[in-house]
Amino acid sequence: MSEANIGGNAGSASPAEPRHLRRVLIIWAVLSVIVIAIWLAVAQFILPQAASSLDSSDNFTFLVLTVLAVPVALFVFVFLGYSLVVFRVQGRPTEDGVPLQPRPSLQVGWLGITSLLCLFLLIWGLIAFYQETSAASTSNTLTVQVTAQQWQWTFNYPQYGASSAGAQVIEVPVNRPVEFYVSSKDVLHGFSIRAFGVRVDANPGYVTTTAVITPTQIGSYVVQCVEICGLFHSDMWEAVNVVSADAFNSWIISQGGHV
Amino acid sequence: MSSTTSSTTVATSRRPNLINSLFPSVISGIILGVAGAAVAGVLVNRITTAFSPDSVPNDDAVAAAVYTAWVLLFFIGIGAFNGIFKWAFARREPTPDEELQLAGKGQGLWRYFRFTTDHKVVGMQYLATVFVLFFFGAMGAFMIRLEQSRPGAIFFNPSTYNTIVGMHGILMIATTIIMVSGPFGNFILPIMIGARDMAFPRLNALSYWLLFAAIPIFFSTLFLGGFQTGWTGYAPLAVQGLTPGMDAYCFTILVFAISTTLAAMNILTTVIVMRTRGMTWGRLPVFVWGIVLSVILSLTAFPSFMVSQIMVLMDRVFNTSFFLAASGGSNWLYEHLFWFMGHPEVYVMSIPAMAVAAEVTAVFARKPVFGYRLLVSGLVGISVLSVIVWGHHLYLSGSENALVAPYMLDTELISIPTGIFFLVLIGTLWRGRIWVTVPMLFVAGMLVNFVIGGITGIYLADLPTDEILHGGMFVVAHFHFVLPGSMVLGFFAGLYYWFPKMVGKRLDPLLGQLHFWLFEIGFLGTFTALLYAGLQGEPRWSANIAPPFATPNLIASLFAILIAASVFTFIYNVIYTLVRGERAVANEWGAKTLEWTVPTPVPLENFEQLPVVTSLPYDYGSPLPGPATAVADIASAVIEAPIQPQVEE
Repeated sequence: MSEANIGGNAGSASPAEPRHLRRVLIIWAVLSVIVIAIWLAVAQFILPQAASSLDSSDNFTFLVLTVLAVPVALFVFVFLGYSLVVFRVQGRPTEDGVPLQPRPSLQVGWLGITSLLCLFLLIWGLIAFYQETSAASTSNTLTVQVTAQQWQWTFNYPQYGASSAGAQVIEVPVNRPVEFYVSSKDVLHGFSIRAFGVRVDANPGYVTTTAVITPTQIGSYVVQCVEICGLFHSDMWEAVNVVSADAFNSWIISQGGHV
Repeated sequence: MSSTTSSTTVATSRRPNLINSLFPSVISGIILGVAGAAVAGVLVNRITTAFSPDSVPNDDAVAAAVYTAWVLLFFIGIGAFNGIFKWAFARREPTPDEELQLAGKGQGLWRYFRFTTDHKVVGMQYLATVFVLFFFGAMGAFMIRLEQSRPGAIFFNPSTYNTIVGMHGILMIATTIIMVSGPFGNFILPIMIGARDMAFPRLNALSYWLLFAAIPIFFSTLFLGGFQTGWTGYAPLAVQGLTPGMDAYCFTILVFAISTTLAAMNILTTVIVMRTRGMTWGRLPVFVWGIVLSVILSLTAFPSFMVSQIMVLMDRVFNTSFFLAASGGSNWLYEHLFWFMGHPEVYVMSIPAMAVAAEVTAVFARKPVFGYRLLVSGLVGISVLSVIVWGHHLYLSGSENALVAPYMLDTELISIPTGIFFLVLIGTLWRGRIWVTVPMLFVAGMLVNFVIGGITGIYLADLPTDEILHGGMFVVAHFHFVLPGSMVLGFFAGLYYWFPKMVGKRLDPLLGQLHFWLFEIGFLGTFTALLYAGLQGEPRWSANIAPPFATPNLIASLFAILIAASVFTFIYNVIYTLVRGERAVANEWGAKTLEWTVPTPVPLENFEQLPVVTSLPYDYGSPLPGPATAVADIASAVIEAPIQPQVEE
């Protein structure tokens, strides 16, 4: 390729080219609209049930990012598929393709659009992050000390002098803010309750505070270890039930606490 | 496979006897290495028992001694130090004849089992090793899919399962790191830049045999109780007593990291100093750029991994406490050291595979790379940014929150240069005359999977979605889309593309298409199902599949059968080709890079006369004279004045 070629599109573009480009862009636009519509229709069945406001806002972020991702992915898929179908030759090609080089405007435009997408992701992520970390605990907030050890979870409730040790299930009350203080007795564990949108490492020797979350749905959920922690990592999960305030109080008493 | 042109000339020199031709070789290396390891093991066992208050040997110290002795004596046995001994004690330089002997001249297939310095031999050794390691890694993957096909841990006991997961992980990671730079970086790259060999041929052989020496160390973990940490080897868990299988992991990483660092240095030096006349940096083929950027990254990445494993070994053997919170250590130290390697390493794998894809696309679209400089800048951008993204693995580690924003910024920035790659490939295909060969199919599959892998990465880069997906199956599916789905497909594109040059026979295209379609369909099925399971909250590393995740996991396991079928199709294709394949011609695809201008099989010193390069090797469809597709005329398109007086002869 000659140096002069770089920077300018080959001027001798055949008249067929604009038709190709227009056709691909139309296919892309139509497909994008269809796939986004399908995604919006089925997202509620694909995304799991959220049991806290934080988890539903996380789910919403997932929904938005997917809407954004669909046209980006389809752009590559449509151009790739179209090229492979339309520009394919049977057997060994006897002549070369058009030696195109990107125009500066294309390069700048591409970089500009991808940069804008990145900027959007960053701003969206940071706003969500500061929203969740700025939720301050109030006097009503339930404090739960979570202790991980190989291979079980123990929840302590210092406000009630109770512990989940020996219990079949762990319980937390509905519609009351909870703050988890997570630590580990031995190795690194990963504390996660998917339905609450809570996930943080349990580090030996350190206590990590999670965001304040409020369980909103009565039901049975799971606390599980998401970091490999040795032999029985696969079994390190326990049921966490969100129950009414009354049921929670009686559970606390059954666990040796006082209300 | 054997270099016929060179073997005829050597017959005139004195005929070597059997002992001379058998030793030194891998056989003497293994004999000496095993004997030395046994002696060292017994010695350290006795010593630690004698000094221990309760007369118990220190298993970790024994393992460390055994592995150290094995590596050192293996290298003495294989003759790695012969040249140095001669230089130091006999005080003479090797003669040209000895150098040629060392390069494997006239040794037939046996040269692949010796400390041979010819870069083409080292490339083939890497290729064979990559095949073997991929096979074992894939078997691990199918065992994992078997266990996860049913709820409850029923097929393997927990210790075996964790070991399988860890072995699958680290085997695949290590193999993926070397899969392009090892075989193609050694075999193809020197020819591509117009060199006769690598800059440091002995170092080249050393880096391969270090990799070889690491393999028995790695598999010895099976007999030492395995390791429970998964491939990440996270530290307080790695330091817990348990079994000496963990020492095997640490030592494997140590030896592997040395091997990779040496190889990286060698490749980088080769490209800096060995380029032929006219091969300016602006005329380097994209593939060479990819390898160079990748090895620069591995030079920054692997020392940190090595250091982390030395610290783990010290904690285990000498009871230091780098990582034990109770005695002042920190698990965050390990996490940072590990991911400082762990994230650049992803790009160590990706950049060469992406470069292969660009190279292959230009050849089969019969078009110049669309924006060569844009692509090179993009790859440079990726490698610079990738050194500082590691923190996103620690979003949820409980470290300081202030770190989240800069890491999120950098992680998202890296998608901009990655986006350039897609623009360049789409642009290269656009209005080309596309010859849909097997390598081209693999590039297409790579693009599809890489888009999915890249986009699922966005959810993990953004904190609000990361906190519902981190540590889960979604992450597993995401990096499988990126690594096996994209980068290994890039490797296969390169393999089907360069196999005729390297082996002299062409892989069967029909079997190649079957291999591709089985893999791609199986792959999309398996990992889309796992993306879904991860979104529902399935944790990683778990044998015990909770009931809500059972269906997607079963679907994933069923699709994995197709992947298994593709693996065996590929193995059959290689064996079939080796036995009955058609002979390849010198320029199999009508490509314009230098490796296609030399005869097949490639002569010992590659070029009779070093070529002179006057342009980029992508002048397809240019108004320059010369029919670009006619095989015989390819050389003239790249090299205007091939006959130049040789300076070094």
